[in-house]
Amino acid sequence: MTTAESAAATAEPTPLDGKYVYCIIRNDRSREFGEIGIGSGARVYTVNHKDLAAVVSDTPIVIYDPTRENVLAHEFVNETVMREFTLIPMSFGTVFRSENDVQALLKSTYQAFTDVLDKMQDKIEFGLKILWDRDKVVAAIERDNDEIRRLKDEITRNAASSTYFARMQLGRLVEAAMEEASNRYVTDIHEQLKDVSVASRSNKVIGDRMILNAAFLVERKDEKSFDDRVKAISLQYEDLLTFKYTGPWPPYNFVNIKLKLEKAT
Amino acid sequence: MGLLTNILLSPFLGPIWGTRWTLEKVDRVVKEELTDDTPIKEDLMQLQLQLEMGEIDDEEYLRREADIMQQLRQVREWREQFGMSTSGGPVRVAGSDESE
Repeated sequence: MTTAESAAATAEPTPLDGKYVYCIIRNDRSREFGEIGIGSGARVYTVNHKDLAAVVSDTPIVIYDPTRENVLAHEFVNETVMREFTLIPMSFGTVFRSENDVQALLKSTYQAFTDVLDKMQDKIEFGLKILWDRDKVVAAIERDNDEIRRLKDEITRNAASSTYFARMQLGRLVEAAMEEASNRYVTDIHEQLKDVSVASRSNKVIGDRMILNAAFLVERKDEKSFDDRVKAISLQYEDLLTFKYTGPWPPYNFVNIKLKLEKAT
Repeated sequence: MGLLTNILLSPFLGPIWGTRWTLEKVDRVVKEELTDDTPIKEDLMQLQLQLEMGEIDDEEYLRREADIMQQLRQVREWREQFGMSTSGGPVRVAGSDESE
C-alpha cells in the first residue's frame, strides 16, 4: 500500500471496482437502499449468497479516514437498513476488491453469520454516556458526608492554624467519597436498566468528566420501556449528572465475529 | 534494528553488549510509540464528545480532526514499514484464491 493510495480524496479518477461493505443481513433476493453510500451518495445495494446478503456500495480502492463525515455516512446506511432488517455491522472502512471477494466472505462465514443473525434477531443497541459536574458532586458530598463536613468546618474556622495535613486529609476523603459516589451512581443506573435490557457492556470512559460509557442490547419490543426508564433515571439525577443517550444502533458492541480477512494485494 | 546500532556495534565486542541491549530497548519503545494508534483514537473520541456537548464548533472540530487524521495516517505508514497489520484498505477472505 503506497501513500498515494491511502489518501481518501485522490485527484485522478479511480475506477469504482471495489465494494464497501456496511453490514450483513438475511435476505434471499437483491435489494436497493438508495443513493446514500459513503463517498457522496453512492448507490447502496446487496450482494447475495443463498439467504444472506452483504449491503455494499461501489468504491475506489482507498483507505477511508474515520472522519466524522465518513463515519456518519457508514452509520446512516446501517440505520436505514436497520429499519427493516436485523443486521451484523461491519467495521468502518471495510473494502473488498470485487463482488467475488464479497461472495467469498458470505460463503466462508455463512454459518457464523447465520448464528449471530439468529441471536441478534429483533435486538437493537442504545448508547449511554454519563458525565458528571464535579463541583456539584463535591457540593453534594460535603452536604451529605458528616466527616467531610466536620473537617471542612474545622479548617475554615481555624484557617490560620489548620495544618497542611488536615487539608491533605480532606482532599483524600473527598477523592474517596467521589469514587464511591461514582460507583454508586453507575451501579444504581445499571440496576435500574437491567430488566428492560438483554445485556450491557461498559466501554472505557472518555475524558475526565465521564463516569459511564455503556452500550445496552435491547429487544425491539422493549424499546419504549427502555426509553422511558432512561428518561426517569436522568430526571432522578438531573442535578448531578448529564446523560448522553443515543440510538437505536445496530448491535456494534455485541457482535464479535473474528473475520479471517487478509490484505488484498 | 537501526543504522545507529550497526555503527555502534561493528568495531566492538565486549562492553558494548549493554549498549546494544539499551538501544534495542529504545528501538522497541520508539517502535511501540510510532505504531500505537490508541492514544490518537482516544483524542478523536474526546474531540467528538466536545463537539456533541457543544464545547467546540464545527470549524474548530474540522481543524482538529484534520490534524488527528494526519497522525493516524502517519501511524499507518509506520505500521506498514514495520510489516504490521493495518486497518482499512482492501481485504479478502484469508486463503481464498483471487480467481475464485
